[in-house]
Amino acid sequence: MSDVPLKNPGWAGNTGEFDLTEEQVRGEDFIGERPLHGGHSSVSATMPYMLIERNPEAELFEGEYQERFKKILTRYPKKRAALLPVLSMVQELRGHVSPESMDRVAELLDLSPAYVRGVATFYTMYNKRPVGRHLVQVCTNISCNLCGADEVLAAFLESTGTELGETSGDGDFTVIEAECLAACGFPTCVQINSRYFENVTPADVPEILEHLRGQAKEDG
Amino acid sequence: MAYPYVSNAEVRVISQYFGDPTHRRIDTYVKRGGYKALEKALALEPDAVTEEVKASGLRGRGGAGFPTGIKWSFMPKEPTRPHYLLCNADESEPGTFKDRELMRWDPHQLIEGCLIGAYAIRAQHVYIYCRGEFFEVNQILAKAVEDAYMKGYAGEDILGTGTTIDITVHQGAGAYICGEETGLMSSLEGDRGEPRVKPPFPAAVGVFGMPSTINNVETLAVVPHIILNGGEWYRQWGTEKSPGTKLFCVSGHVRKPGNYELPLGFPLIDLIDDVCGGIRDGNQLKAVIPGGSSVPLINAEDARKCELDYEGCVEVGTMLGCASVIVMDHKADLVKQIRRMVDFYAHESCGQCTPCREGSAWTARILRRIEEGQGTEEDLDTLMEMTEQMVGTTICVLSDSVAAPVQSSISKFREDYLELIRSGEQAGAA
Repeated sequence: MSDVPLKNPGWAGNTGEFDLTEEQVRGEDFIGERPLHGGHSSVSATMPYMLIERNPEAELFEGEYQERFKKILTRYPKKRAALLPVLSMVQELRGHVSPESMDRVAELLDLSPAYVRGVATFYTMYNKRPVGRHLVQVCTNISCNLCGADEVLAAFLESTGTELGETSGDGDFTVIEAECLAACGFPTCVQINSRYFENVTPADVPEILEHLRGQAKEDG
Repeated sequence: MAYPYVSNAEVRVISQYFGDPTHRRIDTYVKRGGYKALEKALALEPDAVTEEVKASGLRGRGGAGFPTGIKWSFMPKEPTRPHYLLCNADESEPGTFKDRELMRWDPHQLIEGCLIGAYAIRAQHVYIYCRGEFFEVNQILAKAVEDAYMKGYAGEDILGTGTTIDITVHQGAGAYICGEETGLMSSLEGDRGEPRVKPPFPAAVGVFGMPSTINNVETLAVVPHIILNGGEWYRQWGTEKSPGTKLFCVSGHVRKPGNYELPLGFPLIDLIDDVCGGIRDGNQLKAVIPGGSSVPLINAEDARKCELDYEGCVEVGTMLGCASVIVMDHKADLVKQIRRMVDFYAHESCGQCTPCREGSAWTARILRRIEEGQGTEEDLDTLMEMTEQMVGTTICVLSDSVAAPVQSSISKFREDYLELIRSGEQAGAA
């Protein structure tokens, strides 16, 4: 038996030792096709994407986002409960949650700005300041760490030429450490925007970055 | 081989369709007998459903191992206020990666379990609190819930029985503490995920101030199988006190890490050596954390004696937790790993209780000092004394979770710490 651990097909081109494609593992019918208005109200609170392109000036909220906002409100007996999904929607649109955005959300949900600030700063997924088009989160918790996560993190920092938490000059990448991403069997797990890359080794890093740069060009 | 999680020792009840991408579709699920258990449950009285789950002996798979049927029976029988069922899908315990797989391969199994659970506790609304980082899982779940509504398995007048049960999938925003049941409730209400003092217990005062029950994804995923086949059927696996099967998430230095569904009571050493193909690179087993980062770690000697059920783990001084087996070989940097775990807890402490907020950060600083060769033997006594004061002195058990790895590693692997301390002293003297 080989001593190389089996690979989960976590990202394009890396299909490991299985006969499943990446699309099959990730669900080709399910990913990236959710309507902006949120679909059925039962699941309207589930789709805060981290998008590559953002508009920090985007209106909160209009059009399909306004529709989704209204749907979210119908699912909770108290208006305040919509706070987390609404903050996530802000981030989807604007890329980060600024103090001004928080004030606007407070207005929309009849909460005090201080309260919203208190909640928004409690959760790690809300970016309190702008981040690169690709937010690279490397899990360095125990299971990944045992299998070399520190080297993967170092490789990302070196290849992007950034310091931890800082955004690269071209605005493409921000690399941060993440806590356990619940993919411990496939170390190292790296979350980049809304997607997981699994079984990442330092050698994979340049290829992943190239892949991402290509995406930014396509979308931009 | 379609998927990595395969071993002949497995008993695949809830993981049967892992690796089958067609199983996410509602038509495939229904064709394979899906939603039959829901139909059967809705024809029974709610209490009869609870009795069946009680008879199975199913214990909560989130970590505490509390009997599920008994938990359900705490809910008021005559609802005067809305009841809620909460599904804890905020999987974030380091080492655990079972719920993500359960939701992305078999979302309808969970939805069916949620609907049956809600019916049993007379709840009309289920909230699935899904971890924020799981974008992919959230979307798979979203599609599945939409389909369940569309086909009349959720919403008003389910299957023409007059029963109404709504499901809402709620995406978290990144906080480990929201996996604690009362922290999850605070978070669901739009607040910081700060745990609450119990009592009052959730069955009396839960989310939105109403009677609530909270169950782990894996627990609810088993429920349809129990309803369909009966409680006794589930007892054919496992032990008297820990019946059934359990997903074991194995990570770390084994050849074949992954999720394996095995009967409870399975020997830990067989899991490592046979199911997972042994330790990587021909190395020796050094330490195992059998239940996720919050439980005490054990050495190789105890690992050879350990049987993986709730009682068997206690016998060797640890806990089954959520059965996240983290394996370390003899080359592992044990002190560094313990420090990394404590860093995690210091980061995730919600900050309400002083022993946890200050204790976790302080513990992390001392461990870092030792790791960097600046420690003294006295530091070990300080760590032991300090972590002792972190157990049972706070609202939730996050603080206790810091103490578990620190205390167990110092008592079982003191030599690892001393080696670092001595090498630091020698370097200092030179």
